[in-house]
Amino acid sequence: MISVSHLTKRYRGTAVVDDVSFEVERGEVVGFLGPNGAGKTTTMRILAGYLAATGGQVRVAGYDVVTQSLEVRRRIGYLPETAPLYLEMRVDEYLRYRARIKRVPSRRLRQAVAGVKEQCGLHQMGRELIGRLSRGYRQRVGLADALVHDPDLLILDEPTLGLDPNQNRQVRELIRELANHHTILLCSHILPEVEMTCKRVLIIKQGRIVASDTPERLKETLGGGNRVRAHIKGPADDVERKLNALPHVQSVSMKRDETWNVCLIESLREVDLRPNVFELVVRNGWALRELTLANRSLEDVYLGLTLGDGVSGRGGR
Amino acid sequence: MRTLLTLWRREVSAYFLSPIAYVVMVFFLILMGLSFWMLVTILAQGPSSAGVMRVLFGESLFFWLAILLVVPVSTMRLFAEEKKAGTIESLMTAPVEDAKVVLAKYFGALAFFIILWIPTTLYAGVLAYFSPHTAPVDWGSMTATYLGVGCIGACYLSIGLFTSAITRSQAVAAMISFSVLCGLFFAGFIPYYARIPWMQEVGRYISSVMHMMEFSRGVVDTRPLVFYLTLTLLMLFATVKVVESRKWRS
Repeated sequence: MISVSHLTKRYRGTAVVDDVSFEVERGEVVGFLGPNGAGKTTTMRILAGYLAATGGQVRVAGYDVVTQSLEVRRRIGYLPETAPLYLEMRVDEYLRYRARIKRVPSRRLRQAVAGVKEQCGLHQMGRELIGRLSRGYRQRVGLADALVHDPDLLILDEPTLGLDPNQNRQVRELIRELANHHTILLCSHILPEVEMTCKRVLIIKQGRIVASDTPERLKETLGGGNRVRAHIKGPADDVERKLNALPHVQSVSMKRDETWNVCLIESLREVDLRPNVFELVVRNGWALRELTLANRSLEDVYLGLTLGDGVSGRGGR
Repeated sequence: MRTLLTLWRREVSAYFLSPIAYVVMVFFLILMGLSFWMLVTILAQGPSSAGVMRVLFGESLFFWLAILLVVPVSTMRLFAEEKKAGTIESLMTAPVEDAKVVLAKYFGALAFFIILWIPTTLYAGVLAYFSPHTAPVDWGSMTATYLGVGCIGACYLSIGLFTSAITRSQAVAAMISFSVLCGLFFAGFIPYYARIPWMQEVGRYISSVMHMMEFSRGVVDTRPLVFYLTLTLLMLFATVKVVESRKWRS
């Protein structure tokens, strides 16, 4: 559906997007993550034909975004950041207008507008002035607009920006519903949102793609192996030394919590350390209060990749 | 074509959905009303040789004041507003050509301009009805006058459209187009003051004041028509280029 190869965009000599390549298959829901200013919006704008690239090639649904821009734009539903709308228009009026300029045939116009209104929970709002709507409803109007011509590909730039948790959940549910029929590129820096809705995640940093995989695999490969947290009561030096001696253990960090040692034990590979730790505790006659897996969240992976200066290696740490 | 019509309709309705249209209309009609009042005062002094249209349009300070103020104010929002609000992004990522957007905006502004002038046709009717003389209004010269107003308006609007495309601020757009239009307008006085023959010659080609005098006498010269048409096309072309430049400008 999307094929981006060696995409580069420069502003006054600085590369905002630097040699980015990725593919999105039809039907995929891909999250596009990165800190502010990493080049997410620029990439989306190039995909939607709003900006031209400095170098590289971008194809959407087999059409080149530069030479066949109109064909591409017909197949894209693009929701720009903050969903810009004509505030002086009414919801129905606006959606009809957008449907017309997106070449929805007249005979299907009414049906198309009613359909997206239903989908986005706007059926009561047709006569409302957009300027009087709340942030959440405006976002829905923006989404309805992106959907009205039944595009193959949806590009959503921060669709839940500025929404309250309730609206947030509704939009997220809507996106998940849409994922059944559309290819979606979802740009966000709200990680749980991406983790819940996307099958694959692209992480971009300083204009470069630093990771591309499913959220689970990312956590696995980039989050290192397993982490186990154990609260053990025993002589601190002894505990630390013996834990370190366990097979597959990479590192042990300890903190004191009154009389307890709070240990964070990391293993190199996908090995569950808990039985070994338990056995060790029993053998030495120590006491055990807690023994849990403390695996990294996508957030940890994301922070690990996007903090720091250098570009982290792909797939490594 | 359907797309162009849809875009155009939205542009025209946008005028009437914002208070600016009504402010401009009231302001415009006050100025034109003053102009008409001036004409009636002259006519009231007895039969005169004053051409009705000439007093009303060509020589009237109010007429030019109206044109020079109305054009920048009615064109300033065309692109600047969309840029500021970000709606330009959803507009330009819809499957519409940049040129169509520019044309729709231009013809939207032109339609508004024409709507502004419609009430003024009543002036001629009022004169014809109340005047004791048989024919105070020469319908031929009136047609020529409105043609001239249309030409000059069309050209000035394209300049306003262009300035709106180069900035995000409506105020800046209005200031720039007002300055440019004033420059063009006052350059029209060169033939009256310049001593150098070639300057007089060139001045005559670009002098809106002189052109308007001619039109209001009922003379339709092709030279001003060609001048305004080409300048309009040039400005529209430049506007399309400016709009396209967002893609690669850094």
